[in-house]
Amino acid sequence: MLTYIIRRVLILIPMAFVICFLVYLGLELTPGDAVSHMINPDAAGSMNPTQLEALRQSLGLGQPFHVRFWSWFTNLLQGNFGYSMSGGVPIANIIATRLPATLELAAVALVFSTLIGSLLGVLSALKRGSKTDSALTVIGMLGVSIPEFFFGLVAISIFALNLGWFPVGGRSMPGYVTLWDRLPHMVMPAMVLSIMLTAGVMRYARSSMLDALSRDFIKTARSKGLPEWRVNLLHGFRVALTPVVVLIGFRLPVLIGGSVIIEQVFQWPGIGNEFISAVRSQDYPVVMTIALLSVMAVLVASLIVDILTAVIDPRVRLGE
Amino acid sequence: MSGPTYPTTRRRTRLDAQFDRIRAREEAGLAKSGGGSRAVKKFLNNRLAVFGLIVFAIIILSSIFAPLLTPYDPNKIDLRGMLQAPSWEHWFGTDRTGRDLFARVLYGGRISILVGLGSAILAAIIGVLIGVYTGYVGGWLDALAMRVSEIFMSFPQIILVLMLVSIMGQSLVNLMLIFTLTGWGGIYRMARARMLSLREEEYVLALRSFGLSRPLIAYKHMLPNALGPIMVNITLSTAAFILQEAGLSFLGLGVPLSIPTWGNILNVAQDIRVLQTNWWIWLPVGMVISLFVLSVNFIGDGLRDATDPSQQG
Repeated sequence: MLTYIIRRVLILIPMAFVICFLVYLGLELTPGDAVSHMINPDAAGSMNPTQLEALRQSLGLGQPFHVRFWSWFTNLLQGNFGYSMSGGVPIANIIATRLPATLELAAVALVFSTLIGSLLGVLSALKRGSKTDSALTVIGMLGVSIPEFFFGLVAISIFALNLGWFPVGGRSMPGYVTLWDRLPHMVMPAMVLSIMLTAGVMRYARSSMLDALSRDFIKTARSKGLPEWRVNLLHGFRVALTPVVVLIGFRLPVLIGGSVIIEQVFQWPGIGNEFISAVRSQDYPVVMTIALLSVMAVLVASLIVDILTAVIDPRVRLGE
Repeated sequence: MSGPTYPTTRRRTRLDAQFDRIRAREEAGLAKSGGGSRAVKKFLNNRLAVFGLIVFAIIILSSIFAPLLTPYDPNKIDLRGMLQAPSWEHWFGTDRTGRDLFARVLYGGRISILVGLGSAILAAIIGVLIGVYTGYVGGWLDALAMRVSEIFMSFPQIILVLMLVSIMGQSLVNLMLIFTLTGWGGIYRMARARMLSLREEEYVLALRSFGLSRPLIAYKHMLPNALGPIMVNITLSTAAFILQEAGLSFLGLGVPLSIPTWGNILNVAQDIRVLQTNWWIWLPVGMVISLFVLSVNFIGDGLRDATDPSQQG
């Protein structure tokens, strides 16, 4: 088991390094360098070229590419992500203030979509071919076909603007900080995000349950004369759910992508919101850092999924 | 609860009824043999897929023949007719600068579908070209292609797309290039996996022993056997790209706002006043997008069931 983990980590490291390199390359290729963003355009016009050059040298921008990359990379490892172009705030600070909001939303959506998705998926597998099954299939299809932002707009229009049940957006009213105050703000974005994720979980749970029900041990359980609910729930459900729960790790890219747009629709002050405004204002260091962090999150999640799968199913470790 | 065994207690379903009908026809000696491909028949038997095909055809045709369906120019500004609610004159009403929304939805469909379908086909061509050959040949080339695709696919797609948009700038062509660049990985993997299993077939061995060149075996003789899943993948990624274009344009980061697309029409719905009072600007076009993507997804599912029996659930 330990060798398996070590091997997976060893595959991961060069890939993470290559991705860091590509992101840095993107950063270098984008217009402007640190100097052009430190000085406002009016002042830059009045500065003479030798002064600008001196400033560049003092920041180490005159050094060869690999030296600059290396210093960027070592800074990165120490948690120093550089500075935002607008306002010169350290990116690490931006991330630290924005991350909790994103995690809060993501966690709620993940829990809800997993619970509802696996229940509906299993139900649909048990009633395979029935009206319930076809209805659930169509609903699941709708879930992946309606654009998430459109779904959010409809929700805002109905529940916030017409009924007035929930606030239109944001994470909290100024001055109110407790979780209880924030709850009404969270309901809509979390629900929209969960519903978007549920469709995928449901499909997966359905096929996983069908797969489990066709195994021999189900026939054995049935021929022993166990009541149908015991066969389905204790023998089928348990086996079917393990891969579903493990594969939640693979939902992370979908979750990140979904929350980027949902946060924008509901003006939720998370990382995704920050990312969009950085893309809009072409704040490249922020764009690249957030992209890099999201890839790293995905890589780590897939590593954890791999390890968990290997723990559950020994055949995985021995193969490959 | 310990009653009769499984097959008899199961409730009769639509599939059972269908099976009985087929059996009755067979017994009456009426069962057709031949005549039309089996996959096509299977596809046409799938109600949802047929529904998808019809909706798909209606939306595509009305976009193509937009000039016949509406007398309005999608970009013509009419400041006297701003923000009109739907009427006989303007079926979907008008937007903030008095442009006819029905015309904009029809003409916008052209661009949105072009972006979706075009990028899906481009991504498929690249993915298949690489996947089929490297999957068949194997070795270092295969390993390299696999690593590159892994790097692309480890980015959450929307993050990679937005990152590239911020580097390359916004334009229609750039958006299609970016979609192609971010979307080839999925179809590459599928094509490669298919090749890995086809590689062991005997006919491939026979072709090899005849001395055929490797590209010829891979592209001419093995590729046709992987076409089913490739078609499925193209339809599903068309749906995904249309959704992404809509999302990006909604954020104002997709196709430039001067070109009407479905997402660009929705862009104004970021304004809470529009959302509250001018429902006709965003609701119909949102429903058209959803319906179109739904139809494409149904077609994709139908194709999968028709071409790949092992995937059927």
